[in-house]
Amino acid sequence: MGMYHGVGGHASVGMLLCPPLGQSLLRTHRLYRQLATGLAAQGVCALRFDYRCSGDSAGDSGSLDWQNCVADIRQAAAELRVRSGCSMVIGFGAQLGGSLALAAAPAAGFAQLILWDPVLDGASHVAELDAWQETLRNDPLHYVRPRSAEEAGGQWLGFPVSLHWRAQVAAWRAAPVRVPTLIVDSLQQPEAGRWSPLAEAGARVVAMRPGTQWGDLHRLEHAILAPDLLRLVVDAAGQPA
Amino acid sequence: MMPERAFRFGRAGHLVGMVGLPTGAHGAVGVIVLNTGLMHRVGPFRLHVDMTRRLNALGYPTLRFDLSTMGDSGASAEAASREQQVRADVGDAVALLRAQTGCTRFVLVGLCRGAQSAHAAACTEPAVAGAIFLDGYIYRTTGFKLRHYLPRLLSPARWHGFFARKLRQAVAPEEVTFGSVYPPKEQVRGELAAMLARGLKLYFVYSGGIGEQFNHPRQFRECYGREVADHPALRMDLLDGTDHTYTLVCDRERMFGHVERWLKEQFPPPAPRVAAG
Repeated sequence: MGMYHGVGGHASVGMLLCPPLGQSLLRTHRLYRQLATGLAAQGVCALRFDYRCSGDSAGDSGSLDWQNCVADIRQAAAELRVRSGCSMVIGFGAQLGGSLALAAAPAAGFAQLILWDPVLDGASHVAELDAWQETLRNDPLHYVRPRSAEEAGGQWLGFPVSLHWRAQVAAWRAAPVRVPTLIVDSLQQPEAGRWSPLAEAGARVVAMRPGTQWGDLHRLEHAILAPDLLRLVVDAAGQPA
Repeated sequence: MMPERAFRFGRAGHLVGMVGLPTGAHGAVGVIVLNTGLMHRVGPFRLHVDMTRRLNALGYPTLRFDLSTMGDSGASAEAASREQQVRADVGDAVALLRAQTGCTRFVLVGLCRGAQSAHAAACTEPAVAGAIFLDGYIYRTTGFKLRHYLPRLLSPARWHGFFARKLRQAVAPEEVTFGSVYPPKEQVRGELAAMLARGLKLYFVYSGGIGEQFNHPRQFRECYGREVADHPALRMDLLDGTDHTYTLVCDRERMFGHVERWLKEQFPPPAPRVAAG
């Protein structure tokens, strides 16, 4: 399932908006729509889509597969080229969507990458998600009584997680690609070396404030807002903001 | 996997939704799922996707869609109140599902704000034959207050929590939220009675996540009276222990099971067609 945002005339640049996964996909839906609309208004055509097994696309949430997601990005980039006739496609993604855009960059032929708080170390991300899930099942604002480990097991913040997907995410280690890359950093706590090894390989890092609360258990149903994102992304796409 | 198809539809071509079509279900009741809060049609934790696909597998055609200005839907450019827009949007959804499936009767499903939307549409939409309200309207009663406050009066931990909360509020004022304002209880009671008088079948499912609003099955009768609460076309269940949006998979399974049982009892799906010969 995808939504294409065309421009009035010819678009030389297109942007593929790769969504994050899990509840972040739902929380950023409105923002991705605003971003696509804003880009189209600036002459950059955009395509939003859901990977198979996520959002409106076919498949169960528990059947996510990393290689399928990468293949979906490649196919979506091809679809964007066909629909728009654009010669240059920029890949954009938030969180795991940024990781997948990075992994798919060579196959999708991205001319540029814009990664918003991408996950670069899958093992750390898995540990973080496990910790959030453990906190969730004991959270008195969600449950009158703590839920058992069995009831809460095999899930990350509302979504079933197969052992296969868990292992694939844990095995992810970002490696630099030969594509100009911008990292939009809106994480709350500064951390030295967070964007390694991309930063060392020449990726530009831009801080965006206020920070984004990706894992706040009490905002799982809240839309993520990022008022400065559109300006940053349009600027990075080389278009007049 | 049952076939699903995306549509742009509505009186201004401004609505976006996904129709799920079971094979050979023409004539069955169609199920329309409304937005939860401000989330798009996929629902929290993909709840609407899983629910509609399960219902498709049981033989029910479904539509999950975004109301005006929500999700992928645009504005209709009409000068109308939100309630009027919701009713018109549901009318458009009914027309789409009727055209795609041949259904003539529909059941609305909504969680939280979606339940309020379903209530508004069920009041006036003649094609609606039933509604499933997940954490729908409920009002605190004297019984609620006794059950809620009495145990707290005797608990030192509760007093500690109360003062800690007050202190936090004094230091940092609470975040601004965009909650909805309930209509007066008498209005809702009257509207429910009118729905039942029109022959609608209603199912209220309350989660354990609204303990500040609902704390015992008895509260439903305390709130709406026997005329509504004991009506044979109305059923109410409390899924104690769950949270408001059914975050855990096992809680969603439990809720889906209740919804499916009620639908099969009240609106049995058509028997599968058997090939001749």
